[in-house]
Amino acid sequence: MRKQYWNEAEMGLWERAYLPEILRGLAITGGVFVRNMFKWMTGRKGALTTYYPEETRWDYAPANRGKHVLTRRADGSPQCVACNMCATVCPAKVIEIEAGFDPADEAHPKYPVRFEIDYSRCVFCGLCVEACPEDAIRMAKEVPDLPAHDRWSMWLGKEELLEWQPQGDVAKPYPPPPPRVPNGDRP
Amino acid sequence: MPRLTIDGREIEAAAGRTVMEAATDAGIFIPYFCWHPKLSVPGNCRICVVGVEDKGGEWVEIACNMPVTEGMVVYTNSEKVRARRKATMQFITLNHPVDCGICDKAGECTLQDYHYEYNGERSISVDAKAHATKHYSLSPRIVLDNERCIQCTRCVRFTREISKSNGLGMQNRADHSLVRAVEDGSFANDPYSDNVIDICPVGALLSRSFLHKARVWYLKPTASVCPGCSRGCTVNLWHRRPEWRLRAPGMRAQNETIDRVTPLENPAVNGPWICNKGRDIAKVLGRARAETAMLKGRPAELQGAIAQARSLIAAARKPVAVVSSWASNEELAAFKAALGARFSVLVKADHEPEPGEVVQDDILIRADKNPNTAGARALFGEAPLALPPDADLVLVWGEGLDFGLIPAGAKIVYLNAWLQPENGHADVFFPTSIQTERDGHYTNFAGVTSAFTQCFPRPAGVADAQALFAALAGQAGGGE
Ligand code: SF4
Ligand code: SF4
Ligand code: SF4
Ligand code: SF4
Ligand code: FES
Repeated sequence: MRKQYWNEAEMGLWERAYLPEILRGLAITGGVFVRNMFKWMTGRKGALTTYYPEETRWDYAPANRGKHVLTRRADGSPQCVACNMCATVCPAKVIEIEAGFDPADEAHPKYPVRFEIDYSRCVFCGLCVEACPEDAIRMAKEVPDLPAHDRWSMWLGKEELLEWQPQGDVAKPYPPPPPRVPNGDRP
Repeated sequence: MPRLTIDGREIEAAAGRTVMEAATDAGIFIPYFCWHPKLSVPGNCRICVVGVEDKGGEWVEIACNMPVTEGMVVYTNSEKVRARRKATMQFITLNHPVDCGICDKAGECTLQDYHYEYNGERSISVDAKAHATKHYSLSPRIVLDNERCIQCTRCVRFTREISKSNGLGMQNRADHSLVRAVEDGSFANDPYSDNVIDICPVGALLSRSFLHKARVWYLKPTASVCPGCSRGCTVNLWHRRPEWRLRAPGMRAQNETIDRVTPLENPAVNGPWICNKGRDIAKVLGRARAETAMLKGRPAELQGAIAQARSLIAAARKPVAVVSSWASNEELAAFKAALGARFSVLVKADHEPEPGEVVQDDILIRADKNPNTAGARALFGEAPLALPPDADLVLVWGEGLDFGLIPAGAKIVYLNAWLQPENGHADVFFPTSIQTERDGHYTNFAGVTSAFTQCFPRPAGVADAQALFAALAGQAGGGE
């Protein structure tokens, strides 16, 4: 016996004829498609679809957790002291930090030589931001440049995270980037 | 023997023992900073206070310097004791920088642990913290952070009582006290100096080779035996935990390196100490490896090399084997079982003392710089290393043999773990595994056998010596 559903369709003769309704549906979809296609060919924006990654949405919520920002001190050096709290708390274990020792800088003898995040595994939970005792890592609402063609290119390093300048992060003034010193060249 | 009660438990302790020792023997924990079971008792940190019942009241005094007396009633956790401990923790951390975030000791720091256990509050001091030298170079191996030092003097007493170099001392008093090395450089030349890094209860003494290399919770210890000399000290080899392995491009090799070496306490061999050579053993074990079998210097398949070696062994009239004193007891026994009857066997020293190294002293260091000479000699006798001139096949196992000693014309089968020029001069060459890639035992000069455990997987292409000897014997044994 056929099962009875509470929302059983009630079909009249027209629906039961099948073909007319199918064709009507096709006409609606096709109409939208052709209209969008025409707008697109004439250089206008058609559907609401965002052409990610060339285009990103402007209306991300301000609290959106996007790409990480490594903040900097007034002299341009990273605020990060390579304490590894973020890497330790990270549930996906995607942050890798290699620390260096700079006895010349009394106040910040430990600094990150390498700071990498694997965006292919990051779950954008924001725990790293909460764990940081130095306000050295934040998450901007934007998410530019995250997709890549292979997983190795999804590791973003210290330079990238220090120097990309998201519009959303206005809490800290960004000095011009200092002259680039290759890793490991510091005294 | 006096009987006393600690926390309601009646225990018996030999006369002259302190309350700290009696409690530790009975498995009762009393916190301590300056006390160390192998060092003298200065009684300066005052964290080990305990309460002693007296005429219905209770007085508190340090446990590490209080001899046990008959009928004593001791409390380790009374209200008075807790209050005193908390005040002591406030006092000890008065000028402490609490920069745990960048301190290599964090995670295994006594001060940190006791803070959470016995204090748990912010500093109640309203005065600014006194500052001191942040990175003082105590020796080429050790950096000292004077702000973190709690002046327990363990390091000073170590150089006086254990290593006998008298290399460290205290300067000035109170807030201004500083640990300093004496001017004659005896601390820099102390071959046991790195032990002070372990016994420092805080992160004041920092190893330069481990400085900021990894947070300690990323690492795990594997029990092993130091191959640096025939003392065979038991050690912990610290390497990345599997769950914390590095995955970034180009970083994977670091998952299979030894990040630091610490002593593994063993009363039968080394107590809680090791020498500096043991700390640096990663340099010896981390040398470039040989990873392919070779026939006369040309890379070959392992199976082909085995077949070639078997035919050489079968054809030899006077085969001689020179076995390694870095091989484990298991491997040596496997060699004896498989090929011992076919070869006349000599034992060689793989390593000789390096120039500048301490050859022997009366603390730990032994002149024989090989871990298992005793194990090898027990199986193959004491014969001196003299190759008979009529030998026509020489099987050399391990590095360190001058190939010039091998009679001209003799065929050479060579087993070595390292990438060395001799490898190409052998007729058949087999790459073998090293200590960190297998389990085994070494027997030290005094006959004590200690176990080591595998840390890393064996690289592809490297032969397991035990299996290799069995494969070589398949034919050689039959020809006998
Ligand atoms: S957002 Fe979460 S998953 Fe991503 S790096 Fe931070 S802690 Fe790790
Ligand atoms: S928690 Fe902050 S200071 Fe510490 S390593 Fe991470 S980003 Fe750097
Ligand atoms: S010595 Fe201990 S308490 Fe002091 S900074 Fe280092 S980890 Fe923290
Ligand atoms: S350096 Fe460490 S071991 Fe030496 S006195 Fe200071 S705290 Fe104690
Ligand atoms: S351990 Fe007793 S005073 Fe330091």
